[in-house]
Amino acid sequence: MELSTIKDAFERVVKKQKLCFSKSQDVIYQVGCEIEQTLTEILSAHDPTSPVDYRSVLADLKVKLNGIGSIPQLEGSHKELNVNLSKYTKLLERSLNSDISKAYRYVDFDHHIVTQMIANHFYREGSFNLGDGIIDEAGEPESTILKSQFMELHQIVEAMKVKNLEPALNWVSANRERLNQIGSNLEVKLHSLQFLEILQKGNLASALQYARTCLSPFASPPSPHKDEVVKLMGCLIYAGRLDSSPYSEITSPTHWEKSMEDLTRQFCSLLGQSYNSPLSMTMAAGFEGLPTLLKLANVMAARKQEWQAMKQLPVPVDLGKEFQFHSIFVCPVSRDQGSQENPPMLMPCLHVLCKQSILKLSKSSTRTFKCPYCPAEASVAQCRQLYF
Amino acid sequence: MEMDSLPNGTAASPGPTLGPAPTAAGPPPSSKLSHLANSLKLEHQFLRVPFEYYKKTIRANHRVVEKEISAVINGVSEAADKNDMSSDDAVNHLSSLVSRLQGLKRKLEEGSKTEHLQAQRCRARLDHLESADVESLSEWNNTRVNRILVDYMLRMSYYDTAVKLAESRNIQDLVDIDVFQEAKKVIEALQNKDVGPALAWCAENKSRLKKSKSKFEFQLRLQEFIELVRAENNFIAITYARKYLAPWGTTHMKELQRVFVTEFCKLYGMTLEPLLNIYLQAGLSALKTPYCYDDDCTKEDPLSQEGFRKLALPLPYSKQHHSKLVCYITKELMDTENPPQVLPNGYVYSSKALEEMARKNDGKITCPRTGFICNYTDLVKAYIS
Repeated sequence: MELSTIKDAFERVVKKQKLCFSKSQDVIYQVGCEIEQTLTEILSAHDPTSPVDYRSVLADLKVKLNGIGSIPQLEGSHKELNVNLSKYTKLLERSLNSDISKAYRYVDFDHHIVTQMIANHFYREGSFNLGDGIIDEAGEPESTILKSQFMELHQIVEAMKVKNLEPALNWVSANRERLNQIGSNLEVKLHSLQFLEILQKGNLASALQYARTCLSPFASPPSPHKDEVVKLMGCLIYAGRLDSSPYSEITSPTHWEKSMEDLTRQFCSLLGQSYNSPLSMTMAAGFEGLPTLLKLANVMAARKQEWQAMKQLPVPVDLGKEFQFHSIFVCPVSRDQGSQENPPMLMPCLHVLCKQSILKLSKSSTRTFKCPYCPAEASVAQCRQLYF
Repeated sequence: MEMDSLPNGTAASPGPTLGPAPTAAGPPPSSKLSHLANSLKLEHQFLRVPFEYYKKTIRANHRVVEKEISAVINGVSEAADKNDMSSDDAVNHLSSLVSRLQGLKRKLEEGSKTEHLQAQRCRARLDHLESADVESLSEWNNTRVNRILVDYMLRMSYYDTAVKLAESRNIQDLVDIDVFQEAKKVIEALQNKDVGPALAWCAENKSRLKKSKSKFEFQLRLQEFIELVRAENNFIAITYARKYLAPWGTTHMKELQRVFVTEFCKLYGMTLEPLLNIYLQAGLSALKTPYCYDDDCTKEDPLSQEGFRKLALPLPYSKQHHSKLVCYITKELMDTENPPQVLPNGYVYSSKALEEMARKNDGKITCPRTGFICNYTDLVKAYIS
C-alpha cells in the first residue's frame, strides 16, 4: 500500500469538490444577476406614458436564463467530481483489504462474554466509569469482585504517584506470606523508598527512626537484602544533599516507576490475572495475525477448499516474541508437533528429534543410525527424553 | 511512513539487512516493517467510512442546488408564460425568486463548511495511518484497540459509553460517532415500535438499496402492516391477525434492527461483523495451542482466562513450522542468544536462568519441577532447529 498515492488521490477529490462548489456559486450568481437586472428594468420604468411590456421583458429573461445553461453546467462539474469519488473508492478497495471479515468464522461468539471482557479491560485501566457504562448499557450483571480488586490496585498506584506509600505498604503486609512465596522483594523496596523520602526532606532523626523499625529486619545476615540496607545506611551521611552524593543514583525517579510496575505485576499475579490486559494482548495478536489469515482465506476460497471447519490452521501465523507462552517442539525431520506420545528426544550428539523419527531411523530400535544433522552415530538406548 | 520505501514489500531497507541475517536473532527490521505494512492494510473501514459520509454530504448538497436552481428558472418561465400579470405581481414574483437564490447561497456556503470538516476528518485518518511506526507501535495499537472498542459499542448501541471512551481518549476524529447518530435515530424508533424513521432512511438511500437488492423496505412495510393490524380492533379478521401475527411483533422488531444495522454497514463500507470480533477471533486463533487449556497455563496467556477460552473453543489451533521454546523459569524465549540447556534428568531451561541460579548457589542447580540437584558443569546444550 502506498499511502502517498492514496493521499494524492484524496486531494484530487477535494480539489474537484471545491471546483464544484465555486461552479455552483457562479451559477447562482449569474442567475441572480439576470433576475435582478430585469427587476431594476421594471422598477426604473415608472414612466406611465410608456408602460413596460412585462411579458416581453420576462420572456427575454427566460431566454437569457436558458442561455446560461445553468443545469448542464452544474451537472458537468458534478459529473467530474463523481468520477473522482468513485476512483478513490476503488483505489481504497484495491490498496487495502476491503473486507477483513473474510477470515471470520461464523460461530457463536457470545456477546455477554465479550461485554464482560471489555468491562474488565476498562477496570484494569482504571477507567471505572467506562466499565460501569458498558455493563449498564448492555444490561449485564456487574462483576463486582474483579472491579473492587482493580479499584484497590488503582488506589495504591495513584497514591504512589503522589509519593504516598501507605496503601502500598498496607497491602504488602497483608499479603506478606503469599508475596514471599513468589520471591517478592517489594516490601524492602517500598521501605527503602520511604526511607529515602524522609531522608531527602533532611529529617535525619526520623530517617534513622524509620530505618530502625522498618529496615533493620532486612539487615541481618539471612536476608538477601543486607547489602542494599547497608548502602541505604551510607546515605545517612549525606542527609539533605543526596543528589550531589555518590549515592545520587539511588534517588532516581526510575526506582519509583519500577516499584509501581513491580507492585502492579505482583498484585495481578496474586489475583491470578496477567500483567497486560488480555484483551489488548489478543487484539495485538490479531493485528499481527489477521493478514496471514486473510491470505489463507483467499487462497482456500480460490481452491474451493473449506477452512471454516478446520481444527488446526494449515499455515503458521508468525507472532512476535511477546506472544510466546508455551514451549512447542516441532521435529525438524517429521515436522510433527511434540506431544506426550511423541516426545522430543536428545541424541548423544545433542541434536533433538521426536521419538517417532528416532524409531523410524533406527528401524524400530534394531540398529544404530546416523544423526540427520551431523556425522555422529547413535542408538535408541543413548537417547533420552526432554521436558521443556 | 517507511512503507513508501518498500514497493510491494520486496526491497528491504538499505544496508545491513541485505546481508544474510542471523537466523534466530529475532525478526530483522524489514520483516517488522512489512508486518506493519500488512497490518495497516486491514484499515479499509477506517478510511472508507468517513469518505462515504463525505460523499453523501456532497451529493445531498448538490441535489439541493440543482433542485433550487431549476425551481427558480421554472418560476421565471411560468411568469413569462402568464398573460395577466400586473407590474406589482411581476416585481413581487421576481423579488421572491431573488431572495430564494439568496437562501440557496447561504445553504451552499453552510454545506460547503460541512464538506470541508468531513474532508478534514478523512485527512486526519490518513495522517493517523501515516503516523504508525515500528518504534511506537504499542502506543498506536492502544489507540487502535480503543477505536475498535468504540466501533463495537456503536454497533451494539452502547452510545453513551462509546462517546465517553472517545472523549476520554481524545480520538473523536478517529471514530464514527456522528455516522452512527443517523443509525441511532432509526434503531431507537424501532425499539419503540415506530418504523417511520426507518422508512425515511430507506427513501433517502433508495437507489443504493435498490442496487444491492435489499429487502429491508419490504420487511419494514410488513412490520408496519402488523402494527396497523394491532392498532385496529373492529374486524374479526383483525382479531385473528392480532392473535396470531402480533406475537411476532417483538421478535421481528429485533430482526429488523439487525437487518437495518447490516444495510447501514454495507452502505458505509463497514464490515458486517464488529471489528472487535474479527480481530479477537484472529488473535485467539493465532494464540491457541493445546497447552493453553492445561491447568498450569501461565496467567500471562490470555487463553488462561475462562472467557477467552470459551470464545476460542470453536476456532482452529495455530500451527508451527519451527520449535518455539519458552524457558519454564524466566518465561523468555530460548534461542541462539539464550540457548536451552539440559539437566541430567532431561529437564530443559534457558542458559540465562541456569547461570543465574548457579551464581547464587555456588554452582548448584536445583530443578524447580522435580527437586533434582546437580552441578552447573553437568549441563549440556541442546541443539534445536
